[in-house]
Amino acid sequence: MGRAKAWLPWFGKTMVEHVVGVLQSVVNEVVVVTSADLDLPVLGMDVRIVRDREAERGPLAGLREGFEAASADATFVTGTDAPFLGSAFVEEMFARGGACAPLSDGHVQVLCAVYGPGAAEKAQMLLAAGKSRPRDLLESQGYQAIAAEELVSAPSRAPWEGFNTPEAYLSAIRSVDAKATCVVELLGRAAKQAQKLGAESTREVPVGTLGDLLATWPKKLGLVDEGRVAKRYLASLGGRDLVRDLSIPVGPGERISMIDALAGG
Amino acid sequence: MNGFHMAYMRVDLRTGESARIPIEAKILERVLGGVGLGSWLLHREAPVGVDPFAPEAPLVFAFSPLVGTGVTTSAKFAVVGKSPLTGGLCDALASSHFAIEGKRLGIDALVFVGECDEPSEWVNGILRPTQNWGRTARETAAALSKEGRVAAIGIAGENRVRYATISAEGRHAGRGGLGAIMGAKRLKAIVVSGDHDTVAAHSEEVERQARRLRDRARGDATAKYSEIGTIGNLLAFDRMGALPTRNFQESHFEGAEALSAERWQSDRKHRRASCADCTIGCEHRYGYKAPGGESKDVRIEYESLFALGPLCGVADPDLVLAAAAKCDALGLDTISAGATLAFAMECGERGELSGGPVFGDDPSEWLSLIATREGLGDFLAEGSRLMAESIGGDALSRAPQVKGLELPGYEPRTLQTMALGLAVGTRGADHNRSGAYEADFSEEANRLHGDARSVALAIESEDRAAVLDALVLCKFVRGAFDDLYDESATLLNAVAGTDADGAEIETIARRIVDLRKAFNIREGWQPEDDTLPARFLTEPIPNGPAKGVTLPRERLDFMIRSYNLGRGWTEVGWLPKEALRRLEVELDLEGLRSSIERSFPEGIIPE
Ligand code: SF4
Repeated sequence: MGRAKAWLPWFGKTMVEHVVGVLQSVVNEVVVVTSADLDLPVLGMDVRIVRDREAERGPLAGLREGFEAASADATFVTGTDAPFLGSAFVEEMFARGGACAPLSDGHVQVLCAVYGPGAAEKAQMLLAAGKSRPRDLLESQGYQAIAAEELVSAPSRAPWEGFNTPEAYLSAIRSVDAKATCVVELLGRAAKQAQKLGAESTREVPVGTLGDLLATWPKKLGLVDEGRVAKRYLASLGGRDLVRDLSIPVGPGERISMIDALAGG
Repeated sequence: MNGFHMAYMRVDLRTGESARIPIEAKILERVLGGVGLGSWLLHREAPVGVDPFAPEAPLVFAFSPLVGTGVTTSAKFAVVGKSPLTGGLCDALASSHFAIEGKRLGIDALVFVGECDEPSEWVNGILRPTQNWGRTARETAAALSKEGRVAAIGIAGENRVRYATISAEGRHAGRGGLGAIMGAKRLKAIVVSGDHDTVAAHSEEVERQARRLRDRARGDATAKYSEIGTIGNLLAFDRMGALPTRNFQESHFEGAEALSAERWQSDRKHRRASCADCTIGCEHRYGYKAPGGESKDVRIEYESLFALGPLCGVADPDLVLAAAAKCDALGLDTISAGATLAFAMECGERGELSGGPVFGDDPSEWLSLIATREGLGDFLAEGSRLMAESIGGDALSRAPQVKGLELPGYEPRTLQTMALGLAVGTRGADHNRSGAYEADFSEEANRLHGDARSVALAIESEDRAAVLDALVLCKFVRGAFDDLYDESATLLNAVAGTDADGAEIETIARRIVDLRKAFNIREGWQPEDDTLPARFLTEPIPNGPAKGVTLPRERLDFMIRSYNLGRGWTEVGWLPKEALRRLEVELDLEGLRSSIERSFPEGIIPE
């Protein structure tokens, strides 16, 4: 993706804020497990953030950290990239009682599942035995696999549907709002060049990859060179990442600033 | 050895007598000129523990091997002294014909010691009473221009404002209050004119290299500076949550557009200019309405713009430009002036200071009070650290300074490689001796989460700056080099007839950094001086694009420790005995170690 999923915009929020918001409408305790060095948006005092100190041991190690931090018996687990997660679905999963997970196209959706009591200890035992899959934990808890068709509260797009590519993220956005837009502004030399060519320096354009967005300006501006943002510029995404990779997706409402590479001085 | 005159002139202002003192070639080969030579001379000439305002405190004007060769951007001189603002080494550079004419006196540096009996000016070896006391530096230069090129102080320097500048042709050796040292010596102006040309060892090669650099310094390598100027930073920084606002309480300014180069280039009178011997021309002058309604123009850089604008909560371009012109005329460092005012503004809001400025106030009237030390201006003239110490409570945690030097326009929480550079800088919070921001504005470092990579990049940036500042070349040509060390060696060899290679140039850079650090240790530096004000380590960014970003103390401490080890120092930043011994031997600084021993309670310098 070229960007941290947690920070991707999702209609006025970041993806992690969106997911946390959905969960907070159902449960009274939310724990976010994140990598050792990823900073997160401000999520509020009542959200606990724990670090996955053993990321190299696989996903179960990260879940174990989360279970340890949580005090409830039953825990709903989701990934950050869950744009279609809804509160009704989470409530329905809890209502099933005990460990359960959707079964979709033959896949157990371990990152959209409820884990039962004692999950932290069981996860620890499994890890000690060399097992690192969340599914091992669900199986050790005798989980119910629920066929996707049986779930009454799932929206048209599945709550466990995440994204691993820019295209999948953009497609998720467009499925919610086909006309979603972002803003691209040219600063410094780029703005000056645009003015010379009679082009405007700020545009609201449909969401897309950075390459799609920059292609809306005249080639003569030289924003792109050899398949990347030209060396003389850098793209600042929403005031956070500085990138040149044109395949990086830009989300709804996001502001992209094309700045001079020699910023500072 | 060509390119140097192999001597400095030591002027005793008590008697007016001057002496030409030889410098051995091996010293010049090891420190070059500019800040390297200046730091070496300060070590030699400054008594240990000297008060910066005492007559014994030396003030050094150092030239460099490239001055007078016509190499683009090389007409610069370094002023070096013990800063009245920080108590440590301060080196400040300025571009002007003063560098060229100063070197034509047949010397590599001028060192002033002592104090004049009455306000005086030094004109080509003659010390005489001045008629220019009370005038601006520009007026003084105009009055003396027939006799040579002039470096002078303004009214702020005369009144020992701790952040007064030394001006030459409208450019300033700006940071650290070196102008106040000149004021303490009652030396209004230095006028130089000589006839000793710089003779290069291989003049054709110099010409070839100069042409090459000039050509490469066209186009993308410098175009940002020539087309937009440094003020192009303002809007970009704002968008990245890196624009210090209202005394670093915020990092995003609602009035940024109104103060932007993008706006001004279309709605203000605008012209370009350049320093002596420069083919880039990054100077951008913008028109403004002066208080009396008169139309004027002024050179404006990002640092002046941020400090007198967003940092003080001022969004009116005319007020900011007028304030920049005022600093210029009074001889005030715009960064320290703006930051000190902004600090006073926040103190006022918190009820810690009454009758002071408030955010959004026109800075100009306060600047006049500072320069003349009238009323509250006298307090503000001391700089934010001394003010905070006097105010007490937790004011120091909000004083925007490191080691007493006010922070430049880079928000440390959102530029964390730069945060390290600011914390460890020997000059204090400094963006000229550390260009670590370059790493932050790239894909190389995570500017919101400093780590080991940031440390390596910060060290590299300081080393590169040391080379440019010793040769001397403008930082804005840095983009024109593929390999700064190798290409600097080629340039130096052509001028001086030496046979240095890139590795030796890198060693020189590291030596200069060590030399500066050794001076500060000598003068009482302690490990806890290398840090940032507590605000940056405890408060998240409250709003704007970087909302919530933090720089935890442990992260900064980790970077500082790694930096020290990366420099070959002890983990907390002392120069080990071996490094001191090397400096002592290589640079003939006998007694360096023993003078430093007093910093260690048991007299034991770490191995
Ligand atoms: S690039 Fe700018 S600051 Fe540097 S020497 Fe040229 S005009 Fe002066």
